[in-house]
Amino acid sequence: MFELARGPLVWVAATVFLVGIALRIVELFLLTKKRERIQWPTHGITTDSRAERKLKPILAFRHSLIGKHPVMAIVSGIFHACLFAAPIFAMGHTLLLRQSWGISLWSLSSPVVDILNIIVLLGVLFMLVRRIAVPRVRAVSSVKDLLFLFIVAAPYLTGFLAYHQWFEYRAILILHMLAGELMLMAIPFTRLGHMVIFFFFRGLVGSEHSIVRGSRVWSA
Amino acid sequence: MPKQDSQSVDTEQIQALLKKNKRSMTLLLTACAGCTLCAESCFLFMNKGKAPEYMPSYKVLNSLGKLYRKHGKVSRAELEKMRDLLWKNCMLCERCYCALGIDLPKMIAFARRILRSQGIDGVYPHSLGAPEEESG
Repeated sequence: MFELARGPLVWVAATVFLVGIALRIVELFLLTKKRERIQWPTHGITTDSRAERKLKPILAFRHSLIGKHPVMAIVSGIFHACLFAAPIFAMGHTLLLRQSWGISLWSLSSPVVDILNIIVLLGVLFMLVRRIAVPRVRAVSSVKDLLFLFIVAAPYLTGFLAYHQWFEYRAILILHMLAGELMLMAIPFTRLGHMVIFFFFRGLVGSEHSIVRGSRVWSA
Repeated sequence: MPKQDSQSVDTEQIQALLKKNKRSMTLLLTACAGCTLCAESCFLFMNKGKAPEYMPSYKVLNSLGKLYRKHGKVSRAELEKMRDLLWKNCMLCERCYCALGIDLPKMIAFARRILRSQGIDGVYPHSLGAPEEESG
């Protein structure tokens, strides 16, 4: 079981993950087309007064997500940052990479990764409580959402247990690998796909709220 | 006209319409993480005591999302419910935004098109003729 999870299943998961993401990106490109640029005539008139120029960034901040939902935005930001940092910089992972391919990446010291890991788990807990306790989040939630939270939490929880060597180490390690592989394979096809789709939706597809002015629109 | 019959639902017609926009709509529906950060962008939500039924994602998931989930096999009563969501709870002002960048107005407009194909239509407030607890 250990050899299976360590060997072939990793390749299966990585292939499904990478090919799935590539297909998603191709699909998105096929569904959009280049946007027609419209330059509105200004006739040299600018309506911004000095006060307006000063007020604009303040208003923009207040109407942004971080201004409207400071707690959610900050918790979500930290959660997602740790979600990526913990597995990439974990000592055990970089050691495995060096053993297998001879690539040395940076790694953070184990206690730091442990803290990142705990932050991820607390973040999942926050999302879980939010899903159940906030009425409007509850209104658009189903059992499926709890399942996805579990899929996200599983590799981190087992990683935490493995690091502290609680319970039977080898069994936990196998569970850890299987959970990680499951999560990787789920990303392209489920709502976890917002990992890639997010950047394309927000950056590429034209909308008023694109981060950079979107250059593409959905084709009809 | 059998398809305009007030009781029956032309499932095949709904399916044909759903199929037309299948890829972009399912992509958008899949991407919704249910974070509900879109709620505050809806002025109806803000002015109706922050009731969840006015949340953009709620409206989309319970109309278009439901149609896709059930492959168009919905009852007349369900469509009537969707009419309330799509016309009474939404003005299609296109001011809603999504943290992930999902095109919510486009999806509501598409759901409206499907309902219109079944002879269900409404203007806001669609209940103008009927007495309603509207003005409260």
